Amino acid sequence: MALLQEIKVPLLAVNDTSLTVVEIAFPGGHRVKTGDPVLVFETSKTTYDALAETDGYIQYLCETGKDYEVNYIAARIFSEPDEAGQTTVPGLLPIVEAGEPAARANRADWTGETLFSLEAGLLIDSSGIGRSIFKGKDFVTRRDVEMATGSYHPVPSRHTDSPRSAPTAPIRPARQASTLPDPAKTIVERLSRNKKKEIEYLGEVQSGGLTSTINVTVETEDIFVHINQSLKYLKDSLLPVILYETGRLLRKYRVLNSYFSGDAIAFYKEVNIGFAIDLEDKGLKVLKIAHTDSKTIAAIEEEILSLSNRYLDELLGIGDLSDISFTVTDLSSQGVSFFRPLVNTMNSAILGVSSIDEKLQRMILSLTFDHRVTEGKTVAAFLSDLKGRLESYRPDGTTVPVEDVSCFRCLKTLQEDLAGTGFVKCITPHGKDGYICQACLKGF
Amino acid sequence: MIKSVINHRIIKEAVRIRKVEEKFLELFSQGKLNGTVHTCVGQEFSAIAFAGQLKKKDFIFSNHRCHGHYLAFTGDTRGLLAELLGKASGTSGGIGSSQHLCNGNFFSNGIQGGIVPVAAGYALANKLKGNGAIGIVFIGDGTLGEGALYETMNIISKWGIPLMIVCENNFYAQSTPQQVNLAGDITARAEAFGIETFEGNTWDPESLMKQAGEAIEYVRTETRPCFFLVETYRLNAHSKGDDDRDPADVARFREKDFLHIFARESADYHQIYEEAINLEIDELVAEIEKEAELPMEKYFETVQHVTGNDWTALEPVNKRQVELINHFFRDILQSDEQVVFLGEDILSPYGGAFKVAKELSFLRPGRVFSTPISEAAITGVSNGLALNGFKPFAEIMFGDFMTLAFDQIVNHASKFHHMFNKKVNCPVVIRTPMGGRRGYGPTHSQTLDKFLVGIDNVKTVALNTLMDPALIYRSVYAERHPVLVIENKTDYGKKILQQPMNSFVCERNDDAFPVIRIRPPVSEPTLTVVAYGGMADIVSGILEDIFRHTDLIPELIVPSLISCLPIDLIAASAAKTGRLAVVEEGTAFSGIGSEVVSAVMEMTDARIKVKRISAYPVPIPSVRSLENIVLPGRDRIIQELKESFS
Repeated sequence: MALLQEIKVPLLAVNDTSLTVVEIAFPGGHRVKTGDPVLVFETSKTTYDALAETDGYIQYLCETGKDYEVNYIAARIFSEPDEAGQTTVPGLLPIVEAGEPAARANRADWTGETLFSLEAGLLIDSSGIGRSIFKGKDFVTRRDVEMATGSYHPVPSRHTDSPRSAPTAPIRPARQASTLPDPAKTIVERLSRNKKKEIEYLGEVQSGGLTSTINVTVETEDIFVHINQSLKYLKDSLLPVILYETGRLLRKYRVLNSYFSGDAIAFYKEVNIGFAIDLEDKGLKVLKIAHTDSKTIAAIEEEILSLSNRYLDELLGIGDLSDISFTVTDLSSQGVSFFRPLVNTMNSAILGVSSIDEKLQRMILSLTFDHRVTEGKTVAAFLSDLKGRLESYRPDGTTVPVEDVSCFRCLKTLQEDLAGTGFVKCITPHGKDGYICQACLKGF
Repeated sequence: MIKSVINHRIIKEAVRIRKVEEKFLELFSQGKLNGTVHTCVGQEFSAIAFAGQLKKKDFIFSNHRCHGHYLAFTGDTRGLLAELLGKASGTSGGIGSSQHLCNGNFFSNGIQGGIVPVAAGYALANKLKGNGAIGIVFIGDGTLGEGALYETMNIISKWGIPLMIVCENNFYAQSTPQQVNLAGDITARAEAFGIETFEGNTWDPESLMKQAGEAIEYVRTETRPCFFLVETYRLNAHSKGDDDRDPADVARFREKDFLHIFARESADYHQIYEEAINLEIDELVAEIEKEAELPMEKYFETVQHVTGNDWTALEPVNKRQVELINHFFRDILQSDEQVVFLGEDILSPYGGAFKVAKELSFLRPGRVFSTPISEAAITGVSNGLALNGFKPFAEIMFGDFMTLAFDQIVNHASKFHHMFNKKVNCPVVIRTPMGGRRGYGPTHSQTLDKFLVGIDNVKTVALNTLMDPALIYRSVYAERHPVLVIENKTDYGKKILQQPMNSFVCERNDDAFPVIRIRPPVSEPTLTVVAYGGMADIVSGILEDIFRHTDLIPELIVPSLISCLPIDLIAASAAKTGRLAVVEEGTAFSGIGSEVVSAVMEMTDARIKVKRISAYPVPIPSVRSLENIVLPGRDRIIQELKESFS
């Protein structure tokens, strides 16, 4: 007589505060064995199987098609069949319904006739859902139906703003015009909740309509000759160096390490660059390298690796995904020549890394930025600095790795600095002897 | 030369008037008077003969040239001097100055002719009170061009109102000689209305005193009006520096002037009187010049209007709106002696064009007056009744005719309280039906509300079919200042809250002039609509259709006091919904919708999409198909909401 396992809704991404149950594998009270998939949750672009970790009898506390908050106990496995006898437990209702909590609260209140707008009626008829599901509501709008069918995509809208917010975003319609698919001609697959979240989070900055992208070309001839010497694992990858240099530059370009918040700009106090990753159907995620600006290239490389492993093993914590102040998306392994990245929510910019053109020995860096926060001139200066710093890694002849010499400013060691121009001996602001690298000397 | 045995008290009085006015001209030259002065130098004995022979209970309405009348009637030299010097101790606190004086039963206003029906109303009030008081209204020969005079002569004669019209004929309308402007005979004008006429002149003060006394006695004993033509001559300019008269002509009249003759023939007396009066005036002026002017806070302070937020559910009333209005008037006419009901064609059994007055004249014949077709006089008489303690409700048969009453509303009712420094109130009520949809065409269908809001100190109230109109009328009845009530022709026949609105909650707040809110019971609204009057009935009836067609959940706000809109309430709703539409039956330009929208925008920083839905700016056609297009109706409202907000 024992409760052997509780199956909770897993946290798979910080953005996904609730998941949809798409499949219940057994009837309630059924016997399950270790390793049996007992529940299927819908995640970004794929599904997630919850497995039984013990033999026993399953009790489900959820229903298919409904959304549940992370950590909600969706199922339990008991040692005895009678313990798991019931499929639902009174008082334990799903936390999230398809619809806003406010709308849900309304349903219980209204006993009168439910009025449908013409648009709502048409949508109901074409989607085949029943009108009875709206019982308890006084008015059903198109949005209500879209919520119920899962086709609603909130767009940052003037109507949800607080009354005192500044009129910065251009006025847009309250809802997207969506063309209903013709079932005869198309196979309709519902967007996963995570995909919807992705749209929402990318939509937040982009829907302002005031983003722009600036590209620079970086000469890459022989660039890895030296870089690879300081990389242990990620040979022939510019990502660690780009993160490293960007981290330092963001101290200077604070505005790219910020975000637009209605009538203000919020500047992050820390530089926490995130890098986008999308591997093996685990979904698009942005992983955080905390305090990027104070880490060495080697430390950054290590962190990229360990984060990627946790990503693949689905062991990411919320700290790995949150408080990202700037994003780098590296598609260089995909053979792309050039692309326009989209700015994440609560960021003002994103740096896109394209593939190196082996023939021309160069690559393109693309920075999409939120024009409400900054402007082309600043971004061009940032990219020019970054380009200069990256190109400084290209050899110009001799290099003598020297231990113990490091730039007082960025802590880069002479060994790490493979540009070949050397450090400058200097007096630090604290009056001590020290060295400063060419990049810091020029850049700061 | 005229031999005169007139007594010296009267001569001293005339010298005093002249010296006070000469002082005004002197002060004006010194830049100590703000504005202008119109002196009656040469006309003083007219003032003394009439104003000086009235009893204290009698009254005077005078015009722009009123100083002599004022001094002769009130003897208040100090109050007049202080008034023109702009001091707080002036008879009108310095607000009115030369043309706008008020002291006891003395009133003056600078609008030619407009004072005549007001005086008639004041005299009618005395007659209704039965107090034996009579009144005089002074006009000039220039006033003979004003229509309100003739409307009033008709009424005072027909109704036997004890009012004397004294026409001071000084042969000039400002600077224009009489022969340029005036046709026909002056006294014949009054005689044509069956009004007794008298004549006299100021060059023979003794005779004038006698004739004036006889005329006053006639009016008092006969309770009839009379018209007294006084020939006189103004020895100074109309006001200052606008005198193109032949100097020889003026000099000739100066020779005829009684005080001039007196100064020449009784130089000793004249000198004694003049010196004593001059000394008195100089001392008064020196004293008054040290006094303070009225501080702004005693004149006006902005009051922030806060709309009540306690809501009571509205109940249907199974009675037509017109019956409920009629019942209200039956009640107050029977319970309150001071209530007077006036209007055209209102006698029973007809009971008025829209039957609001049904049977009222049977119930209270002495308080219900069916008037000639004379909107200016109806309104002016009502103003006078209101000034003299009555609560008049005047009906203007069609809202379109409010234009004919406009002077009385804007220049009289609106002004009395403030320009007389709050010594009087004018609790007049003017009711009128507005609106189209009956095929009455361009001049009987308009909604002129926008011309009636924004008049100082005048409340404009619009009834609707969503609540019992008696509730609104109770507040109108209690008002101490002018109120215009806009009724709606098509609403009269409708019962209260009869349209099914099962999907909405209908409620009103507890303001004196309640605001009605029709809101979704559970959902948050996503569209704020403001409509009032006849439009409230239409919009409230199509709320469900608005929802169906626009996919927006509407909340309707219906103000009843449209001269002070519940902007705080509207702004709060619109800030929440982000959408604000105002539907009005009048045209949009500078209309109620424009006022709502701009006031809401001043109050909130919220981004709100706004829309005014209104009549097209053309005269309203009679032909039904076009009338239905010109006035905002169901289909157009829905269409425009859809276009604006979807």
